[in-house]
Amino acid sequence: MLPSYLTMAAILFCIGLYGALAKRNAIIVLLSLELMLNAVNLNLVAFSKYGVVPALTGQIFSIFTITVAAAEAAVAVAILIALFRSRGTVDVEAFDRMRR
Amino acid sequence: MFNVDITGEFIAFFAFAAIMIGGAVLMISLEKVVHMVISMAAVFLGLGGMYVLLDAEFVAFVQVLIYAGAVSILMIFGIMMTKHSGESEPVRPLHEALVAVGALSLFGLFFYAIRTTDFPDAAAAAPAEDNTMAIGELLFSGYIVPFELLSVLLTVAFIGAIALAKKEAE
Amino acid sequence: MDTYTNIAWVIPLLPLAGFLVITALGRGFRAASVWVGSALSLASFVLSLLVLIERLKPNAVDYNNGFDWIRIGDYTLTIGFEVTNLTALMLVVVTLVGFLVNVYSAGYMKDDERITVFYGYVSLFSFSMLGLVLSDNMLSFYLFWELVGVCSFLLVGFWYARPAARAAAKKAFIVTRIGDAGLFLAILLLFWYMPEHSLSFTMIESVFDHQGGTITAGITTLIALLIFLGAVGKSGQFPLHVWLPDAMEGPTPISALIHAATMVAAGVFLVARTFDIFQASEAAMTTVAYVGAFTAIFAATIALAQNDMKRILAYSTISQLGFMMLALGLGSWTAGIFHLFTHAFFKALLFLGAGSVIHAVHTQNIQEMGGLGKSMRVTAWTFAIGALALSGIPPLSGFWSKDAILTVALEQNPLLFVVGLAAAFCTALYMTRLFVLVFLGKPKAAKASIAGAKESPAVMTAPLIALAALAVIAGFVETPWNGWFASWLSDEAGASHGSALAIVLSIAAGMLGIVSGWLLFGKRRERSGAGFAERMPGLVKLAENKYYIDEGYEAVFVKGLRGLGTALAAFDKYVIGGAVKLAGVCANAAGKLALRLQNGQVQTYSLAAVLGIVVIVIAIIGRRMLS
Repeated sequence: MLPSYLTMAAILFCIGLYGALAKRNAIIVLLSLELMLNAVNLNLVAFSKYGVVPALTGQIFSIFTITVAAAEAAVAVAILIALFRSRGTVDVEAFDRMRR
Repeated sequence: MFNVDITGEFIAFFAFAAIMIGGAVLMISLEKVVHMVISMAAVFLGLGGMYVLLDAEFVAFVQVLIYAGAVSILMIFGIMMTKHSGESEPVRPLHEALVAVGALSLFGLFFYAIRTTDFPDAAAAAPAEDNTMAIGELLFSGYIVPFELLSVLLTVAFIGAIALAKKEAE
Repeated sequence: MDTYTNIAWVIPLLPLAGFLVITALGRGFRAASVWVGSALSLASFVLSLLVLIERLKPNAVDYNNGFDWIRIGDYTLTIGFEVTNLTALMLVVVTLVGFLVNVYSAGYMKDDERITVFYGYVSLFSFSMLGLVLSDNMLSFYLFWELVGVCSFLLVGFWYARPAARAAAKKAFIVTRIGDAGLFLAILLLFWYMPEHSLSFTMIESVFDHQGGTITAGITTLIALLIFLGAVGKSGQFPLHVWLPDAMEGPTPISALIHAATMVAAGVFLVARTFDIFQASEAAMTTVAYVGAFTAIFAATIALAQNDMKRILAYSTISQLGFMMLALGLGSWTAGIFHLFTHAFFKALLFLGAGSVIHAVHTQNIQEMGGLGKSMRVTAWTFAIGALALSGIPPLSGFWSKDAILTVALEQNPLLFVVGLAAAFCTALYMTRLFVLVFLGKPKAAKASIAGAKESPAVMTAPLIALAALAVIAGFVETPWNGWFASWLSDEAGASHGSALAIVLSIAAGMLGIVSGWLLFGKRRERSGAGFAERMPGLVKLAENKYYIDEGYEAVFVKGLRGLGTALAAFDKYVIGGAVKLAGVCANAAGKLALRLQNGQVQTYSLAAVLGIVVIVIAIIGRRMLS
């Protein structure tokens, strides 16, 4: 069963990657990032059951990842709101101050 | 893979997989932002189901609570507090094509790696008697320090988020 | 034992302290700066005198002390001071003239706004010159050599508001730089070829004294000629003499101190200090002798036709320095130093006397002067003593030293003897002309300042009297019958080398010069040498214009260099500048190209990263598969 789960995770990861790189709405970019993180979590949990040395550690890791992702999402949304206030848009194309 | 027995787990896996991929593709292709978030919630729920299949009941529970609940709501809040004129027409076809090529070739590599790797056919570990209790014991014995550090990180992140979002309002 | 010799290093430090104190006090302390400068120069003179007295003891040992300055690998550069009979003598000459000039300047520069600056510069110069004299190796010598050059530059350009002074200062600095470059090359060559890279004078002496084949004859000649180039620049020898007459734009006490007694003699001192190198090379000696002799006669003839009082003295200085070089080139460095010694006194006297006259009448043109002997008695008498000493009239000091040189010339090279004799004749002639036109007869220009000229104050005449006394007696340290000075200086048993023929001819040349000068300028002084000028107008015009040397340099070097500079500037502008511009344009274009990648979009950067990872992973997998 392991390859099925891994393939599933890879599909999710690549869709997330496409979303993160191609979408212009910053919130969708954030969601896509969450999707990529979830794909990784799926890998961890799958290895926790079907790995060479099955152990609960994989699940612990995924819990940690979920927690950190939650914190990241909160901070990211806060930044986004602050950015929206100062620039009036959430289009990532507008955020190109680094060029200047 | 294709010569495995059609078991209950197998059927359930494919059901969940169909939900998740469908949700993910919808998330990418839908027009309205709120719809995207809702399809994303479907992906999170499907993932929770998959965790149950993998004997990780506690993680599945956390997944549903945090992702399908908290993060989705957070995103909806974010959407409501910002203005969205809807996804404008794609003005950078070259960029999107290149991203698609990159994502697809990356998936190709992953798939190739998964197919060629010879996974040892270890028997699936027997599920713990009480998954939540086992995780709790492990979390509060072996991983107590990361756990505490994580709590500090969460506190910092939330205080920071409040400060960031509040700053301009003053 | 040699108490004062051991602390000889204090001598240069006293004027340095004076310079620092005067500079620190600032322009408000006019009297204080005069007192500080004079007192410290007197102190260093007294100390020098004590050192000299210690050196007068028979068999005094050369004293050398110092400390390690720089250590590079195995090579150690020491810096230190050395007291020999020669340096002790130079110390006394420099500090004595320096002290007298300090006193004299209190009167001469009294009304100058920047008198404190003047005293500061003079103190700095004294420090540099004394340091130069005491240096025990070529490198520190060179350091002080440049320092005196800087002081000379500052003092020549002291009245920088006058364009002529500015130009003269620049000219002095640049022309001597040619010689300095030669000296520097000589030091580099010495460093390269000397055993253990030693640059100390003692080592130079021992190496070149016993030519053990360590340094080939060709290199020796090259080093000697390069050192001589430095001396030519500093001592105003032909063809680098052009800066010295222009340097007369500086205050007259400076002309006396720097451009007559001390700094210009540094070139002679340098040759004497490294004399062993010259002795090891026949060609170098000949060059020195002929350059010296030519300069002596050449400058003396120019002096005949000049009308500026100080310029006449400047050309006379060049001529006398030529005499010194002639003596050195003929192998008798003691005679050269002897002439340096006496010349320092009577030429300083003449310059200070000229300064006294200029101070009184506010002009330097001798054609306008006349009859000053009545109103300025002290100046006239002391000037007369100086002029007679310079003309070589016994028993004044100039006679003995000039005679020593002519005697050597007669022994070794009759041609050079004749040239020297002719130069001595010209010397007497132009000094008579100068004296007659300035002090005798009647004023030629109806200027109130000339008619009503008053004697200078005592603070200016006292140094004149002191120097006049020295100009009279300084020659007796060495006479044709008594070679004490030469044997003391060179540590060799000096044979008295009197030559009746030389003495007679030398006196005759001097007397003849004076008499013909009297006949030419004294009798018909209303026409001021017109008789001579009428008979040979071309020659006089030639001499008046200094043989067109300056014009020649202007045409050949200045114009040539300017043309070369223009060409090089064009090369720089179009070829090098074009290349630079091309590089700039290329970089700009590349930047614009790269800017299209740097569009500020994080997504683009991430995409590049993803594609990069894909490519790298594919490359790794491909390699695995191939191998």
